[in-house]
Amino acid sequence: MDMKNKFGTSSNAVLFVLVVAIAIIGAVVAVFRMDTTGQKGSGLGDAFDYDLSEHRTVDPALILYAEREDLKMEVGITAPRGIAVDQADRIYVIGNEKVVVFEEGKLVREIGVKGPGRTLAVDENGTIYAGVGDHIEVYGPSGDFQGAWEGFGPEATVTSVAVAGDNVFAAIFDKTRIVIRYDKAGAIINRIGDKDKERNVPGFMIPSPFFDLAMSPDGLLRVADTGRHRIEAFTFKGGLEEPFAWGRFSNTEIDGFCGCCNPCNFAILPDKSFVTCEKGLTRVKLYSPEGEFVGVVAAPEQFARHDSIGNEKGSDCSSGGLDVAVDSNGTILVLDPCLAQVRVFVKKTGTSKVDPDA
Amino acid sequence: MDDKKKSKQINRRDLLTGGIRGAGLLGLGAAAGALGGRAAEGQMVWQLDPHKCISCGQCATYCVLDESAVKCVHTYAMCGYCNLCTGYYEPNAQELDTGAENQLCPTGALIRTFIEDPYYQYTVDEPLCIGCGKCVKGCNAFGNGSLYLQVCHDRCVNCNECSIAVACPAGAFKRVPAENPYMVKEVGHSK
Repeated sequence: MDMKNKFGTSSNAVLFVLVVAIAIIGAVVAVFRMDTTGQKGSGLGDAFDYDLSEHRTVDPALILYAEREDLKMEVGITAPRGIAVDQADRIYVIGNEKVVVFEEGKLVREIGVKGPGRTLAVDENGTIYAGVGDHIEVYGPSGDFQGAWEGFGPEATVTSVAVAGDNVFAAIFDKTRIVIRYDKAGAIINRIGDKDKERNVPGFMIPSPFFDLAMSPDGLLRVADTGRHRIEAFTFKGGLEEPFAWGRFSNTEIDGFCGCCNPCNFAILPDKSFVTCEKGLTRVKLYSPEGEFVGVVAAPEQFARHDSIGNEKGSDCSSGGLDVAVDSNGTILVLDPCLAQVRVFVKKTGTSKVDPDA
Repeated sequence: MDDKKKSKQINRRDLLTGGIRGAGLLGLGAAAGALGGRAAEGQMVWQLDPHKCISCGQCATYCVLDESAVKCVHTYAMCGYCNLCTGYYEPNAQELDTGAENQLCPTGALIRTFIEDPYYQYTVDEPLCIGCGKCVKGCNAFGNGSLYLQVCHDRCVNCNECSIAVACPAGAFKRVPAENPYMVKEVGHSK
């Protein structure tokens, strides 16, 4: 039996209106709470986060170097990738189709190269050996083009060049990952790093196109075998000097090299110590000539722009991978490709021969 | 009888009229077919630009399908076949083995297979992948970026307004021609 209240309406009708009103209010609230624009994130749980922040933290006591902001150089070229220092401490930076030369912090020369410049080395006469795409180009001290050596094909990249006496060494990143020893006319003398069981050479394991080498004052060529997280020592004829190889993987301990393939680049100080650069956790570290961890030159927080690669909308930094060179005073020069700057690091007061405030 | 015969006989005018009608219908059909064909040829579908994608995870939850049409794919030619794959292992992995506690993928959708010392191949188990992009972050952070997300067109229902595209904070979703529906990374794109 339908009950009527004092207003003459049925209680069932009131109940019906109430339910409909609640449903409409609920629907309106639900529509307004909907996140159609993604403002509230994915809604996935913590298990789906990829967080490297704890690994980016470095104990300040381990940081032995300070950056000299007043000395940094804007390189003014696109895609700067390689840095070198000559015997007169002039700084050379190579990038897309250009080499720039700085003397005492001032730009003194620009040299055009014939493609995407990646790496370079300068000999005692000032001759420049530039890794451009798959080949080496040679330029005189005044920037005159002296020739291009035969390339390794469209899939190859010359990732590093070093000069020692009459020898030029080039790291080639292609299917084989090999180091080539040339004479200064561009003739190949021998290959270094081919897999050879009899000589106990396992071959290089280079997962990404970061494959660096440098000549040490001890007369051995050092090559970063990044997939093994090691710096290895070779004779000019390709003999692996296992006792001089060092390095290990660790994402959690600062003395190890992080990620799949580091150190991405390195340089050797006049006292034979090593300065290494890593990507992923972008940092620069110092190791003794024997490979023992000494301290940090620059911590990941000093390369915050590199963290945006692949993580931030519209990041203008598409290619990480610091390069490093050292001058005759032991000053560390870091090429930061994200900022297109040469950043200068000197030992902190009390820990070095170099006074950062000098 | 004569009248009946006359009515069954087709005169020249009827033949002409019928012929014109038939030709008209044929032409209309041909035009409709051509237009339809052109429309199909010019059809656009959704795709994710891997160079803009920031692997935020929203592809996993904003797709109208229960199981997202976005999945991880792998360009093997770019891959380093690393023993220590940062797309496969947690940054704090204790051992380089296939233990679940060491794997980065929360759904176990990346499969690690030994090739030859010291190389391993990584393949995506597509039904397990939900398109969260966690492995993509790990691969991009340290490696070559050979793992990346794509809209899989065997699953995508090609909504007029893709709800992932609306929610995508990187503006990485695009309309691309149906005849070339994937944006595949190639060697040389690595960092």
